[in-house]
Amino acid sequence: MAALAKPENDMPRPNIAKAGLQLPAVKDYEQVDREIMATLRPTKAWFACLLVAIFCLIIGGTAWTYQIHEGLGVAGYNPPVMWGVYIVTFVFWIGIGHAGTLISAILYLFRAGFRTTIYRCAEAMTVFAVMTAGLFPILHLGRPWKFFWLIPYPNWRLIWPNFKSPLVWDVFAISTYLTISTTFLFIGLIPDVATLRDAEKNPIKKQILSVLSFGWRNSEAEWRHFARAYLFLAAFSTPLVLSVHSIVSFDFAMSLVPGWHTTIFAPYFVAGAIFSGMGMVFTIIIPIRKFFKLQHYVTLNHLDAGAKLCLFTSMVVGCAYMVEFFIGWYGGSPVEQQYWMNRVFGQWWWAAWIMLTCNMILPLSLFSQNLRRNPSWLFILSFFINLGMWFERFVIIVPGLSHEYEPWQWTGYVPTFVDYSILIGSFGWFFMWFLLFIRQLPVLALSEIKEIVPPKLKRVHHHPPEAPGDFEADTPGEFA
Amino acid sequence: MIQGMLGAFKELDATVDAIDALKKARLGELTVYTPTPRHELEHAVHPPISPVRRFTLAGGLFGAIAGYWIAIWCSEYWPLVVGGKAIATWIPFTVFSFELMVLIGGLSTVAGLFICAGIPRLTMTVGYDGRFSHGDYGVWVQCPPDKLKDAEAILRRCGAVEVRGAQ
Repeated sequence: MAALAKPENDMPRPNIAKAGLQLPAVKDYEQVDREIMATLRPTKAWFACLLVAIFCLIIGGTAWTYQIHEGLGVAGYNPPVMWGVYIVTFVFWIGIGHAGTLISAILYLFRAGFRTTIYRCAEAMTVFAVMTAGLFPILHLGRPWKFFWLIPYPNWRLIWPNFKSPLVWDVFAISTYLTISTTFLFIGLIPDVATLRDAEKNPIKKQILSVLSFGWRNSEAEWRHFARAYLFLAAFSTPLVLSVHSIVSFDFAMSLVPGWHTTIFAPYFVAGAIFSGMGMVFTIIIPIRKFFKLQHYVTLNHLDAGAKLCLFTSMVVGCAYMVEFFIGWYGGSPVEQQYWMNRVFGQWWWAAWIMLTCNMILPLSLFSQNLRRNPSWLFILSFFINLGMWFERFVIIVPGLSHEYEPWQWTGYVPTFVDYSILIGSFGWFFMWFLLFIRQLPVLALSEIKEIVPPKLKRVHHHPPEAPGDFEADTPGEFA
Repeated sequence: MIQGMLGAFKELDATVDAIDALKKARLGELTVYTPTPRHELEHAVHPPISPVRRFTLAGGLFGAIAGYWIAIWCSEYWPLVVGGKAIATWIPFTVFSFELMVLIGGLSTVAGLFICAGIPRLTMTVGYDGRFSHGDYGVWVQCPPDKLKDAEAILRRCGAVEVRGAQ
């Protein structure tokens, strides 16, 4: 058994991972419950953020209403550029949704310790990001109320969707991903909701939590079945993560548009999705750890490990950019060569260089250990990553359609205020759900964090207790 | 009528001692409560392997077959004839097979968890205490009235901070 940390008081301490002791400033289970449940109390800052999110959502909702009334022409489409900001933003949000399942499922299977304290946030982020992404194909339709025609439901006309179309693959992939991600989040929440139920004094809230916890009572048998089910859900989610963004990439790669018809798209999209998702995880988790004073749970070691994952995926994405460009030249097709020159040095140079700077150049700063362990820098960098990854999708979609085979087809594309308003509305929609989530349910996983906190023991074990002054300054620990 | 004795423990090793002693005394069926899964308790209880995996396998296989079936059936029913292309093509249809395998396999896993763990549970069972979701461990031994005293003695000897009977 690991030795118990003995801080002088309940104040958080600098936190160093040592062998067998991942969260030295967390001394017992009661402290975990007390500090994490404290995040459920609403604050003025929380209300202010929620109001801003709802305001952004209203902007987006108003713009969509206007678009439905006036038609898709108000959205800035300029034939043949018939995929614009909506599809760019759709791919962007799907990408954001990938880090959650990566952290909760893939890193779970690999037993990566740093996932424990951040996976709940990442899972919730995944569910809300996929909910947001799912709106965009509907927003993109001229008659959005007909969206269900893509689903193979029995109908009196006896017609069915084309199962060879990547757009129908998308419907299945994304609805499966949303269902499994939501299930994964909800199953993981059951023991924590039971903890909230047992702590709740208000009888009405207690009743609601009792229903949501399904009568969970923490018996060893329940945990045994739970652990097995969680393992299998993680095992199913792992290939699902890889398949969903591969299928999204097939929307492009299955066509003959220059710059789209490449075999590299599936791994390139998956790496980009994980990269952008990690960026959004930093955007969310760094303010949460600061404002809720959870630095001794989400430690610098955890941020450091996440930053390394970010750096790795940035380099994979950077490599894909270089390969795309090289093959565009080496393939010898004049159309491809023209397209690539136009994309990087021509009409769309500004978008391409925003993408390259944010996704390839700035993340190289994470080679510095000091910057990897600097939450302020990670937070700033995460904005650049989000920006760069949005522009990556823009650079893939718009330059391809605006510079196809025939010169008479070449055109430009300028988004309108409707596009921008709906883009802002999507952030409002996402953050509204996320803020409501962190107010109602534990933002860190209570039961899994308790797993890594040493239990109380009756017998003295031969490990000398930590002296109060023994906590080092934040230096690399076992996960660094 | 369910009768038994419940012991609440603060320490993990005391709980393990109590489980070992109660199993040795063969007083009755044990239920162990813990705020978080611990291998020490699993080793002490030594339970059988969870059958949830069978639900996963069955659901996954059904989903994979259903994915191919729905795509082939719909394509045959409403054929989109393109010269040189088969109506039912296994490569694109593998996407549906895979997605439905994950979807139905995942949902079957959850169904397996619910069935095996006996949830949703409408009422709290005898012997549960809210403290077991926070920090304490609990051992409930279900036994006939003549063995309640022995169970109480074992629980107290092993370091239970509270022992109470329930029926």
